[in-house]
Amino acid sequence: MDSLVAQYTRPAFSEAGQSQEEQQGLSQASPELSLKFALPPVAQSASWLRAMTDDYSNPNCPIKIAHGTTTLAFRFKGGIIVATDSRATAGNWIASQTVKKVIEINNCLLGTMAGGAADCQYWLAFLGMQCRLHELRHKRRISVAAASKILANLVYSYKGMGLSMGTMCAGVTPQEGPALYYIDSDGTRLAGNLFCVGSGQTFAYGVLDAQYQYDLSDEDALELGRRSILAATHRDAYSGGFINLYHVKEDGWVKHGFNDTNPMFWKTKLEKGEFSNVTADLV
Amino acid sequence: MEVLLGITGKDFTIVAASKAAMRGATILKASDDKTRELNSHSLMAFSGEAGDTVQFAEFIQANIQLYSMRNSMELSPSATASFVRGELARALRSRRPYTVNLLLGGYDKIADKPTLYWIDYLASSAPVPYAAHGYAQYYCLSLLDKHHHPDIDFERGMKILRMCTEELKRRLPIDFKGVTVKVITKDGIREVEYEDDVKVVVP
Amino acid sequence: MSRRYDSRTTIFSPEGRLYQVEYALEAISHAGTALGILAQDGIVLAAERKVTSKLLEQDTSAEKLYILNDNMICAVAGMTADANILINYARQAAQRYLLTYNEDIPCEQLVRRLCDLKQGYTQHGGLRPFGVSFIYAGWDPQRQFQLYQSNPSGNYGGWKATSVGANNASAQSLLKQDYKEECDLKEACGLAVKVLSKTMDSTKLSSEKIEFATVGKTKSGKIYHHLWGADEIDALLKEHGLAKAEDAEREE
Repeated sequence: MDSLVAQYTRPAFSEAGQSQEEQQGLSQASPELSLKFALPPVAQSASWLRAMTDDYSNPNCPIKIAHGTTTLAFRFKGGIIVATDSRATAGNWIASQTVKKVIEINNCLLGTMAGGAADCQYWLAFLGMQCRLHELRHKRRISVAAASKILANLVYSYKGMGLSMGTMCAGVTPQEGPALYYIDSDGTRLAGNLFCVGSGQTFAYGVLDAQYQYDLSDEDALELGRRSILAATHRDAYSGGFINLYHVKEDGWVKHGFNDTNPMFWKTKLEKGEFSNVTADLV
Repeated sequence: MEVLLGITGKDFTIVAASKAAMRGATILKASDDKTRELNSHSLMAFSGEAGDTVQFAEFIQANIQLYSMRNSMELSPSATASFVRGELARALRSRRPYTVNLLLGGYDKIADKPTLYWIDYLASSAPVPYAAHGYAQYYCLSLLDKHHHPDIDFERGMKILRMCTEELKRRLPIDFKGVTVKVITKDGIREVEYEDDVKVVVP
Repeated sequence: MSRRYDSRTTIFSPEGRLYQVEYALEAISHAGTALGILAQDGIVLAAERKVTSKLLEQDTSAEKLYILNDNMICAVAGMTADANILINYARQAAQRYLLTYNEDIPCEQLVRRLCDLKQGYTQHGGLRPFGVSFIYAGWDPQRQFQLYQSNPSGNYGGWKATSVGANNASAQSLLKQDYKEECDLKEACGLAVKVLSKTMDSTKLSSEKIEFATVGKTKSGKIYHHLWGADEIDALLKEHGLAKAEDAEREE
C-alpha cells in the first residue's frame, strides 16, 4: 500500500521532465532496454545459437564466429600497459590481420577485445556511451570500477545466451589511480595487476610472468608487453598481425604504435638470438 | 596436468618431469619418476595414459639395452629416437595403441652434441632445442622462445628451467608436486637436486 | 672314409671336421683372387676377373665387386650365384636397419648378419653351405674405415689387408711384406695392383681382367664408394707400368 501511495505522491519537481519509467530507462545501465534485442525465434535461443556456431563440435556449423586473440594488460609503477594482437579468425580462416582490439572508451579509459569480435565491438561501444552519459550526468568522469561493473552487469544479464567476450578495462582516475579490471561473458569481474586474455593467453603469461615487476621502467614495461604479444603470435595460430600497444598514464593514455609482427619477429630472432627453435640446423 | 620439459645447451640436455602421479582427482604419489634410462647416454621421459606409459617405456628400455648387449655398442640418440618413433607408429596402427607422449634427451658421443627429441602419441618425432608436453607447452614454450639460446651453459639452463617451473606453479590450477630433474652430458646421466620450496605468487 | 659324412653338413666327421664346409673353402681357392687394403683415408678392393672374352659386355657384368649399402661395398670370391643370394640378403638387412634406426647399419653388424646366415647352412640339415668368401670395405662413425673378411663357415674377422681366392697365400705374404700402416688410399691402390699383377697368371693386366673399387671420404667429409670404370683402371695400371703395351692390345 505504501508503495502505491509513494508512486502517486511525487515531489513536484520531478513531474516536469519525464515519467519515472522513462527516467529509469535512461539512468540505468538498462539491461531492460537492451533486452529488446531481436532474438532468434526459437524456444531455446542460447542452445540454438551454440548449435549454429560451435565449430569445435561441428566443423561444418553455418555461422563461424570470429574468435582467437591475445590481449594483455598489466599495472606497474608508471601506469598500465595494454597490448593486443590484431588477428581475427573465423574457424581456420584468417578474417582480418588489422583488427583494432583496443577500444578507446575515452581519453583515460581503454577496453580490450577477446572472444566474439562483434560482441566485443558492440558492447564496448555501448559501454563508451554509458560512460559518456555518466560523465554528463555526474559532471565527472566514471571510475574504472564503475565502468567495468556496468559491463559486467550487462553481460551477466545475457548469461547463457551465447555472448562470448573476455575483456579488460584499464584506466586512470583521480580517486582510484591506475586501475585494471577483467570482465568475461560468464559474468566474472576481477580487479588485478596483470591479465592475459584469449587463445594465446598462456604464451603471453609465460613471457610476462617471468619478468614482471611492479617497479618496471616505462621503457621496460612497454617492451615486455610488446614481447609478450609477440611470443603469443609466434605460438598461437589464432593470434598474429600487428601489435597494438598503449600506455595508460595519469593524464590519459598514449598510443605506442600498431606494428607488424613479422619484421619484429625476425629482428628479435636475428639480433637477440631468440626463437632458436626456428632453424634448419637440426633434423 | 603432467609436466614434461626438456632443454638442451652447449654440452648438456636437461629433462624434467613432474612428480605427481594422478588418478582422477587424487594424487596417488608425489615422488613419481616419469623417466627411464635407455642406455648410458639417453633418457626417456613419458606422460600419457596410465599403464601405457610405463609399459611402453620399459619395453623400449629393454629393447635398447638388448641392442647394447648384442652389439657391444650403444645406439646413438638419433637412432634411438627413430626406433622409438617406429615402435610407437607400429603400435598406433595395431588393435591397442599406446597413448604416450615422450621426450628423449641424450648426448651424442660421436657428434659430441646434446640432443633432444619431442615425440607425441601420434608418433610425430622432431629434434628440438627445447621442448614440453601437455599444458607445460602453453606456458613454457613462449618463455623458452625468449630465454633459450643454443650455446647456454648448465647454470643458465637450470635458471631457465626454474623460470618454467615457477610459471607452472603460478598458473597451473593443479599442484604437480614439483619435478625430478635429470641431466645428460658426455659423462652420462645424473639426477640433480631441485629445490622446491620457492614460494610463487600470482602478481 | 669321409663318404659317410660328406652328404650332410650337419654331421662332424670323426676327426671333427665338416667336410662340406671344407669343400666350399676349396672351391673358393680356385676362384679369382680378391683383395682389400685398408688405408688411412679409405679402403681399396681389387679383384681378378676370370671370365674374359671379347664378346662379353664389360659394363653390365660386374661379377666380383658389389655395393651393399651407402657405407659398404664387398668383393666376392667363389660362386657368384651363391654370392647373389647373400648380397641380396645383406642389402635387405641394411635397408631394414636404415628403416628402423634412420642411420646406416654399423659395418660389423652387417657382416655378422651375413655370417649368421652362412653359419646356419653349416648346421641345418640337407643344405649346402654358401660357396663364397667376402671381403667387405666400409665406414661407420663409431669405428671409421673397416675391412672384414668372411668365409663359408660363417667366421669373420677384421683386417688391415687381406685376400681370398686363388693364390691367396702368396697375395697374403706380399701384402704382409709391403703393407704400411700409414699408407694413404693412393698408395694402397698402387699396392693392390702390384699384388694382383704378381698373383695373376697373366703378366700384363688390363681393365678387362680386374675390377677395382674404393671407399673414401670427399673433401666435405662425405663418405663415398666408387666402382672404377675401365678407363680409370687402365690409367692406374699405366701409372704403375703394369698395363699391356698399346700395340699389343691392338694386335689382339
